[in-house]
Amino acid sequence: MKVQQHEMLMALKASRRTVLKGAAALSALAATGGLTALSPQAAAQSELRTQLLKIPGVGKGSPTDADWQKVGEMCLGATKASVKEGEFKGVELTFMGLNNQNLHNLLFRGFLKPWEAYTGAKISWIDLAQADYNARLQQSIATSTVDFDIIEMGAPFEGDVCGKGLTSEMPDWVKKQIEFDDIVNYLKPPVGTWNGKQYRVTIDGDAHNFNYRTDYFADKDLAKAWKDEGHQGEWEVPKTWQKVQEVTKFLKGKKFKGQDAYGYLDPAKGWGGFGFYFLGSRASAYAKHPDDKAWLFDIDTMKPRVNNPAWVRAIQDVVDALPSEPADQINADPGTTGFQQFLAGTGSMLAWWGDIGSNAKTSDSSVIGDVCGFSILPGSDDVYNSKTGKWDKLPSGPNYAPNCAYLGWGVYVMARVDSDPVKQKAAWSAAAHLGGKDLSLWTAAYPSGFQPYRNSHFIIPEWVAAGYDEAFITSYLKSESDSYNHPNAAIEPRIPGIFQYYSVAEDELAKIYAGGSSAQAGADAIAAAWEKITDKIGRDSQIKLYKASLGLVA
Amino acid sequence: MNTALPETAGKVHEPLMRSQAEANGAWGRILLWLSSLILAVIVVWQILYKASVIAVGFDTWRPVLYTFILWAIAIGAAQVLIRGERGKHALFILPAVAFTVAMVIFPTFFGLYIAFTDWNLSSLTGRHFNGLDNVRSLLGDAYFWNALRNMIYYVLFVLAQYVIAFGLALLLNAEIKARKFFRVAFLLPFMLSPVAVSWMIGKSLMEYRFGPAATLARHLGWDNPAFFTSPWIARLSIVAMDAWVWIPFIMILLLAGLQAMPKEVTEAAKVDGASPWQSFWQITFPLMLPVSVTAIVLKIIFQLKLADIVINVTAGGPGGATDTVSSFIFREYRDRSNVGYGTMLAEFYLVIIIIFVTLLLKFASRFMQRTT
Repeated sequence: MKVQQHEMLMALKASRRTVLKGAAALSALAATGGLTALSPQAAAQSELRTQLLKIPGVGKGSPTDADWQKVGEMCLGATKASVKEGEFKGVELTFMGLNNQNLHNLLFRGFLKPWEAYTGAKISWIDLAQADYNARLQQSIATSTVDFDIIEMGAPFEGDVCGKGLTSEMPDWVKKQIEFDDIVNYLKPPVGTWNGKQYRVTIDGDAHNFNYRTDYFADKDLAKAWKDEGHQGEWEVPKTWQKVQEVTKFLKGKKFKGQDAYGYLDPAKGWGGFGFYFLGSRASAYAKHPDDKAWLFDIDTMKPRVNNPAWVRAIQDVVDALPSEPADQINADPGTTGFQQFLAGTGSMLAWWGDIGSNAKTSDSSVIGDVCGFSILPGSDDVYNSKTGKWDKLPSGPNYAPNCAYLGWGVYVMARVDSDPVKQKAAWSAAAHLGGKDLSLWTAAYPSGFQPYRNSHFIIPEWVAAGYDEAFITSYLKSESDSYNHPNAAIEPRIPGIFQYYSVAEDELAKIYAGGSSAQAGADAIAAAWEKITDKIGRDSQIKLYKASLGLVA
Repeated sequence: MNTALPETAGKVHEPLMRSQAEANGAWGRILLWLSSLILAVIVVWQILYKASVIAVGFDTWRPVLYTFILWAIAIGAAQVLIRGERGKHALFILPAVAFTVAMVIFPTFFGLYIAFTDWNLSSLTGRHFNGLDNVRSLLGDAYFWNALRNMIYYVLFVLAQYVIAFGLALLLNAEIKARKFFRVAFLLPFMLSPVAVSWMIGKSLMEYRFGPAATLARHLGWDNPAFFTSPWIARLSIVAMDAWVWIPFIMILLLAGLQAMPKEVTEAAKVDGASPWQSFWQITFPLMLPVSVTAIVLKIIFQLKLADIVINVTAGGPGGATDTVSSFIFREYRDRSNVGYGTMLAEFYLVIIIIFVTLLLKFASRFMQRTT
């Protein structure tokens, strides 16, 4: 047994009995041909992962700071292999990240506490609310006051940060430590890179999936009412947005389990630009044609498509659905919609990032853990073809286009540490610790703000062993995996100022949703504002970067 | 022993002192001009460097700031050297002047320069002068005018706040039990941050699903007690929260006025048989006019800057119904990094506020002259 594996097991407080028990189990599996090639190292890692997922255990309430520290401690193996104890004594690092209800920095503090104790480095924190994030970052860049060494950042900001040479290039040892190849394909380069250089330690995979209430769609009374009212097809989970609209309107005024029944929930209030993604999820099936990589702008001109018939139809869908949604929906931002409504039992359908799935069974505030199902975003019976200006009906059936919104969070090290080799190593070591393979399994499984992003996150037996219901977790992971790997996925453009586009759109959308203007007029206003932003930032460079973000040669 | 100086001593030293003063004055003028020259050279140099006209300069503007501080010190010393005792008097005011120049006057004028640029933080090419583009955008910006219209509503609601505050001030000025307790209790909302009020009231008490205010409203027969979904209800909800914070401020000013009012006048009115209403309307209210005007004008100035509650609770919605100019400027800066246009909005709004408040004061003073 290698020293590192021994340390790992000791960290798990593994007794001889549990080691033998594990060994016996592995032998049994090997004998049945289940794991014929499992090396001792893999066995130790497998044990570690099993133990990790038991902290605190699914269905045992929300994890606490003590749990996060325990996870950080258990995942220190890789750090210990590359850093001597106390090697970073005297090094002080500043970490800027989110501090919202999805946890983020709160977790990092816990995860990094054992790392700090072992390496001797000290981390101070800059905590930002989601809505303040973009502003703080842009201000730091523009005024040359980057006052942090490590940043938690999404890929959409890579144009703003990496494009300006503010980040440190990832050393090879980090790539090895985080087992870079394990990351799912859609998050591999060009994501995380700029001009061919790798900058990001991925800690999250992002796509909007479709969350629905299984109990609503298994309810006999609702099924009967559906038939009685003459609706076509069975009472089932909608597969297209057309059906989502129909179900949402059908549920208006009905009761379910003694409460008002609601269908789809639209976050109609802005969220510092992040709210635009939710219109994107409604629009992607209409606007993202399989023969066209672009869906937000025309590739060669950056002419916005947000006012084309596909987007306008999506906007009109929201306008039409809002009267059937909860009365205060117009003042509900995505956070409210996901955490105060859907997880708390209001509504039956919601597009959100994978947080809903990872919180449904493990968050104290969730009441839908046993009745939550998942799929990729609904499709559309027809899809708009921007090149011909017509709606196409695909021979393969409805058009699906999962919205790979935001491309996940990553940890980036700032270039200002490069002048000090010890500080640079310390910063990258901290980033690698947070992006470690085993630690990431825990963040994918428990409330963290992060979703599965590695191939190794999709091993269902690991989740089941942790206490997840197999049907639930299979449904959840499949929705994530199918979104990431979908051939017609709508990819987030990594262009500078992308949140300016989203933010200005949010204002106009709020006006449309409140009845202040029509869907078409509002969309035209968004397009006009987007044109201005493109001109301000620089049209030629935006075209080049937009093409690059879609994997097209500029 | 006669220690008095001979009468001629002063006369002997006078030319010496004058020549000393002249020498000091000369040194002072040299110091004044030299330090000003150095400051001017460094400023121009740095501007040229930043404009890429010359190749050598400072990476940051910090040395210019240090030079300004040294210049301010040199100016102070020069004043003493040139003007002697009167120069020393000037030292009492000069630091404040330098501070105001650095922190108020310079930023205002620098802001004006920024307002005429297309500065967007995401632009790789930085800021460029764009003439009147921002003014044209502002004149055609429906969001700005919508926010400005909302400000009119918000300002009008100040009168309602004033009426309530006056009522409370009269109550607290009366001989009631636990008067001191109520005075402190009524001040508590004013001590709270509006941000805290936004969360405690707007996002908790008035929350549609679990908020106690919403639950109470349901019990009272309002089926869908959504406080922030229809324009006027949302506006009124914002106004109510703002009033909750600010009424104590108006009230305390009015209470101070009431307490300073001579009691003999109201007592005399009572003796003459005036009813409470007559006493209030004919005596108290007119006597309180100067305080009232001050309180209202101050509150209007605060009201014109209303932003925090709106940003936290409605983000300007629904559809801009609760938006304020400050919250709109905040979005332009924070969410869109649109520094040039955002600054133009701020400067333009400043001009509007100055004009409005000047007119308001003029109107108030005429009104008071007429009534007194």
